[in-house]
Amino acid sequence: MFLYSLTLHRATGVVCASIGSFVGGKSQEIVVARGKSLDLLRPDESGKVVTLHSVEVFGAIRSLVPFRLTGSQKDYLAVGSDSGRLVILEYSKERNCFDKVHQETFGKSGCRRIVPGQFLAVDPKGRALMVAACEKQKLVYVLNRDATARLTISSPLEAHKSYTITYSITGVDCGFDNPIFAAIELDYSEADRDPTGQAAAEAQKHLTFYELDLGLNHVSRKWSEPIDNGANLLVSVPGGGDGPSGVLVCAENFIIYRNQDHPEVRAVIPRRTDLPEERGVLIVSAATHRQKSMFFFLLQTEYGDVFKVTLEHEGDRVSELKIKYFDTFPVTSAMCVLKAGYLFAASEFGNHALYQFRAIGDGDDVESSSANLMETEEGFQPVFFQPRGLRNLALIDQIESLMPVMDMRVMNLFDEETPQIFTLCGRGPRSSVRILRPGLAINEMAVSQLPGAASAVWTVKKNVNDEFDAYMVVSFQNATLVLSIGETVEEVSDSKFLDTTPSLAVALLGEDSLMQVHPNGIRHIREDGRVNEWRTPGKKTIVKVGSNQFQVVIALSGGELIYFDMDMMGQLMEADKNEMPGDVACLAFAPIPEGRRRSRFLAVGSYDNTIRILSLDPDDGMQVLSVQSVSSPPESLLFLEVKASTGGEDGADHPASLFLNAGLQNGVLFRTVVDMVTGQLSDTRSRFLGLRAPKLFSCMVRGRQAMLCLSSRPWLGYIHQGHFLLTPLSYETLEYAASFSSDQCAEGIVAVAKDQLRVFTIERLGETFNETAIPLRYTPRRFVVLPKRKHLAIIESDKGAFTAEEREALRKECMEANGVGENGNTGAMDNGGEDGEERDEPMTDEQFGYPKAESDKWVSCIRILDPKSRETTCLLELQDNEAAFSVCTVNFHDKDNHGMLLAVGTGKGLTFFPKRTVEAGFIHIYKFVDEGRSLELLHKTQVDDVPLALCQFQGRLLAGIGSVLRLYDLGKKKLLRKCENKLFPRTIVSIHTYRDRIYIGDIQESFHYCKYRRDENQLYIFADDTVPRWLTAAHHIDFDTMAGADKFGNIYFARLPQDTSDEIEEDPTGGRIKWEQGKLNGAPNKVEEIVQFHVGDVVSCLQKASLIPGGGDSIIFGTVMGSLGALLAFTSREDVDFFSHLEMHMRQEHPPLCGRDHMAFRSAFFPVKDVIDGDLCEQFPTLPLDMQRKIADELDRTPSEILKKLEDIRNKII
Amino acid sequence: MSVYGGDSWGREAQQRKRRVDDLFSSSSNASSSFKKLSSGKFVCLVCPHNPVLDSSLMLSVHNKGSRHVAAQAKQKENELRRQQELNKRIVLSSKTKIQPKTTSSNNHVKPLVEQTRTTILELQSTKFTLNAKDAASNDSHSSISSRERRQKELKFIAAGWKRDCHGKWFRDENVEFDSGEEDPNVCPL
Repeated sequence: MFLYSLTLHRATGVVCASIGSFVGGKSQEIVVARGKSLDLLRPDESGKVVTLHSVEVFGAIRSLVPFRLTGSQKDYLAVGSDSGRLVILEYSKERNCFDKVHQETFGKSGCRRIVPGQFLAVDPKGRALMVAACEKQKLVYVLNRDATARLTISSPLEAHKSYTITYSITGVDCGFDNPIFAAIELDYSEADRDPTGQAAAEAQKHLTFYELDLGLNHVSRKWSEPIDNGANLLVSVPGGGDGPSGVLVCAENFIIYRNQDHPEVRAVIPRRTDLPEERGVLIVSAATHRQKSMFFFLLQTEYGDVFKVTLEHEGDRVSELKIKYFDTFPVTSAMCVLKAGYLFAASEFGNHALYQFRAIGDGDDVESSSANLMETEEGFQPVFFQPRGLRNLALIDQIESLMPVMDMRVMNLFDEETPQIFTLCGRGPRSSVRILRPGLAINEMAVSQLPGAASAVWTVKKNVNDEFDAYMVVSFQNATLVLSIGETVEEVSDSKFLDTTPSLAVALLGEDSLMQVHPNGIRHIREDGRVNEWRTPGKKTIVKVGSNQFQVVIALSGGELIYFDMDMMGQLMEADKNEMPGDVACLAFAPIPEGRRRSRFLAVGSYDNTIRILSLDPDDGMQVLSVQSVSSPPESLLFLEVKASTGGEDGADHPASLFLNAGLQNGVLFRTVVDMVTGQLSDTRSRFLGLRAPKLFSCMVRGRQAMLCLSSRPWLGYIHQGHFLLTPLSYETLEYAASFSSDQCAEGIVAVAKDQLRVFTIERLGETFNETAIPLRYTPRRFVVLPKRKHLAIIESDKGAFTAEEREALRKECMEANGVGENGNTGAMDNGGEDGEERDEPMTDEQFGYPKAESDKWVSCIRILDPKSRETTCLLELQDNEAAFSVCTVNFHDKDNHGMLLAVGTGKGLTFFPKRTVEAGFIHIYKFVDEGRSLELLHKTQVDDVPLALCQFQGRLLAGIGSVLRLYDLGKKKLLRKCENKLFPRTIVSIHTYRDRIYIGDIQESFHYCKYRRDENQLYIFADDTVPRWLTAAHHIDFDTMAGADKFGNIYFARLPQDTSDEIEEDPTGGRIKWEQGKLNGAPNKVEEIVQFHVGDVVSCLQKASLIPGGGDSIIFGTVMGSLGALLAFTSREDVDFFSHLEMHMRQEHPPLCGRDHMAFRSAFFPVKDVIDGDLCEQFPTLPLDMQRKIADELDRTPSEILKKLEDIRNKII
Repeated sequence: MSVYGGDSWGREAQQRKRRVDDLFSSSSNASSSFKKLSSGKFVCLVCPHNPVLDSSLMLSVHNKGSRHVAAQAKQKENELRRQQELNKRIVLSSKTKIQPKTTSSNNHVKPLVEQTRTTILELQSTKFTLNAKDAASNDSHSSISSRERRQKELKFIAAGWKRDCHGKWFRDENVEFDSGEEDPNVCPL
């Protein structure tokens, strides 16, 4: 079995983010690392975050830091990754990609303790760069420029210190003195040697300054001072004339200003009033904002509260450190302050956000200062504050994020054309069920009712130079409606369009005249108001029209074509005639070549299943140049020109080519390349779009021509980062469409659907899925689908939180306490009324997080959700510190009176630290009542550990309880234990069954294959895996095969060899399975790993499913970083050969950006086996043209054939 | 004469042997154990992993290997067992040849798949009871009841009952039972 791996939805979580001016000039961009991809984002004028560039780096990015050489206009980006190399990237605006400027190898690859890459710091003047490991090693590179102003990098200078753990590093701003780097370090050498543990308890963190002596070219430890053991983060303070220099040390509960030869300045971080006393406050992310005259820091705590930190200083002496409450938003992994007044918050979990500054925290809020720090006997006196709604920031955009995907199912619960992907995402109060549908999201601008069912719509400008459309013309069965577009859209009667007849086409002709084609003639409305009417000869009517700015061709009933041409006077003149063999089905002009006035080709589709290309050359007399036969009569034709470009906005190089697209009556979109000189057709591709014949319309997307195809659902064909993408739109069936441009909406589309007129724009180009989210209460763990009602049963649980009632009570208490305080103060406060307003709006848990409870307290609930109405029909909150961990539906045999039941495995009082303990485990059995909308507890059975896996098996319930597999039957008061096997190594986390086989997944020992023997009432393990896999996801593929994923980010398939499988099945006496001896401390038989692939991200769910109607199955997987991928099995050996060669060439010619060897990355833990990396293959179009040609030559193909192959295989998956 | 010399008879003998092997491999009688691929390579059909061998020489070497010999022996054994089983079934089926026609006259109305299924079922049931059937109604009843008995017994085993050496049922101590559960000793099979 060979598989093709493809990422369907790039990771959406953010590991680290940084801001810089990578394009150059004044603009600022945000560079975001999402695990193994690197994105460049920028907020556009309207405040929407757009992705400029996104690249897969085939390695784990761990740190990013931008830097700028003095006097330069542009930032470079240094990347620390698992490649054992330091990579410096430069963004190329022309080609829209990152270029590798330097790649310096310093160690082994992989995320290791002592190989640098985890931390990066740069001198604020861009003179030196430090890359550090978690332990021991630190390397300093000197950055400079050569005579041609190119960046140079020195060989590394070592600043290693053994037995030292590094927590954070930063570059200290000390102007143009020798560069200094600060680090929080902990020396453990003594703790390591002392067996009593006393030294470990006394271990002390130090703040160390490393100085790079540029003269001596040497790094020395300059200064080291003990600091709080809770210190975790360093923030550099501006220096060199702009500020006092030094660093802010963020420690538990404190922010401390430190510098050499300067006393420490310390202030407490304000605490929330409802925070339990034993919990500290830690800073998790920081952002610095500096202007010419001032600077401040924004620091976010682990609870989401953001504080503004300012320093009072004179010269380099700091007199006071102030911490002021700023605002609260969900916890981030990185924050970036943009000069344009935005704050980008890359959330740790859930959607990312872009905020706009409304104020910079000058209002009166709780403030703590180093000046009034009070030390009492119990330590420093805390400062309290109450979080409130956003006051200094305003949310303007959100970027959706699936991170982390906890569970996923692909199903068609809504009976749509394609299945939906149901994912459980997020964590704590920000968790949700997200329903993903393949397709682009649209933004509906307006819907208006029409007087009847419309058949067509057009938009026209008054003058060719106008920016916006002037009229919108809607054609009905026997009338035409003309609307003018302005501030509003309203009907007009003075447009001179004929309104008593249906229209066939409306277009702008020449510079400024309009044309309306109706069945009986052509009406040409000149700019000065004159109207020329051309009538059809005899009783013939016009059936089809094609036109461009200067040419019109009409097809009369019977197959006669009449070609009109506009003369110099602006008159429409009959130029030529041609008789086609039968009725004409559709017409289209080729685009006008640059520098010419007329199109050279006309495409004619006929009902005899052919498409002809006619020459429009005046000498040729509409001669047929080429004929293409197609499988079904064409319904609609459109030429789409791909402009020649050597890189540009969208990324890649394309040769210029002209595609003729045809929508056929059988629902297929047929695409073929037209030779721009001879009109010959070649290189055909076809794709099934839907049950209706696609109608094709040209529209504009991001300033480029794109194609809208209206079949049973709308599709958009456009070019994105070098690929031609044909993606469905998540919208209902449309009849007819036209591009629409007004001052409210520059690139819209107007469409008619039945008797409605709809105006919409297309959003988030390049994405494969659009999502709808339904919020949940706690972190979702797992879910099952209740097939009959099409509901979902979801289990959610969280540690260290309060239950809903407790929270409600707390809130009330808090409100009352606050209210009293407010009342007492209202007299003194002027803006008391305003505060009252703010208090009224509820504090959403999504924004503020849950109040923290003791860490061993669990809350959990079971929810029945109707995804269609998005309504929760039942929500059972578990009591008594119980939390749900597994769920399944079960139908007990012989117990028909109950029907389907829901089994939920729970644990009570589970703790993980210092040792994993549990008070008890339970299996709850619930009965469905109220037509399956609600649950009723039947009974609850106590077991000795948490049941982490449940599954129905032969009318009974299989439960994995710790290391024991048990078979339960339903009793009257509890579940009855009928059979068990205690021979599993660790903890059972997954159970799958097929016939009489049971496939068990162990938490750290991969799969075990079992068999249940009814005649002996015994469970036997007959096969297991030789590799210890820490299983995170499992899925049953076939009788002998299981697919699994481990926690190191690998996907693998385990298969029982055919002959072993046969032997086990043909065991008539049953003695063999019973008496066979185990091998390698396990079962007698071993499974083979037939597929092996390193995804580079922890896979949390796997499923075999098809995402396209009638397509083959592929393995769909979701990951913790919020990406979705697919593995498709190849069907032919030829494809395998082709793609493995392409992959090989790509590996050689296009090595990954962050310096990790591609093959080594995909084989990070186990050698990659029989999987071809589609993500690498899909980078083929981003290569320079000559490179593409070179690879194509070696594969005996042309580049376009390779692109077609890539497109084809992608279309097989989605 | 040196074996390594230029005019050694050894090489000739080797070539002769290879030629014989080639002829042998192309002859039809032995070809069931391997297959010649279009690429000119050979694939051994006896060994379970179907190894691909580059030349007939390698095939012949492989054929002498212990793995191949073992696989061959196993295959022969399987073949023999199958033949025996086949013989047994043929004998059994010949005994009951008339039976399906007599028992179910409506068989002909049913679709072919159904017919085959009933025939197989009946064949299997006869194998179970090892009774040739002449009197249709009486015996089929007994076979059904025996099947039912078997089912019932299996049900008790699955529910956690065991038999002692006297054939009496007792409860497995590791298994839990409901209060009102059927006792096989009370309602004997």
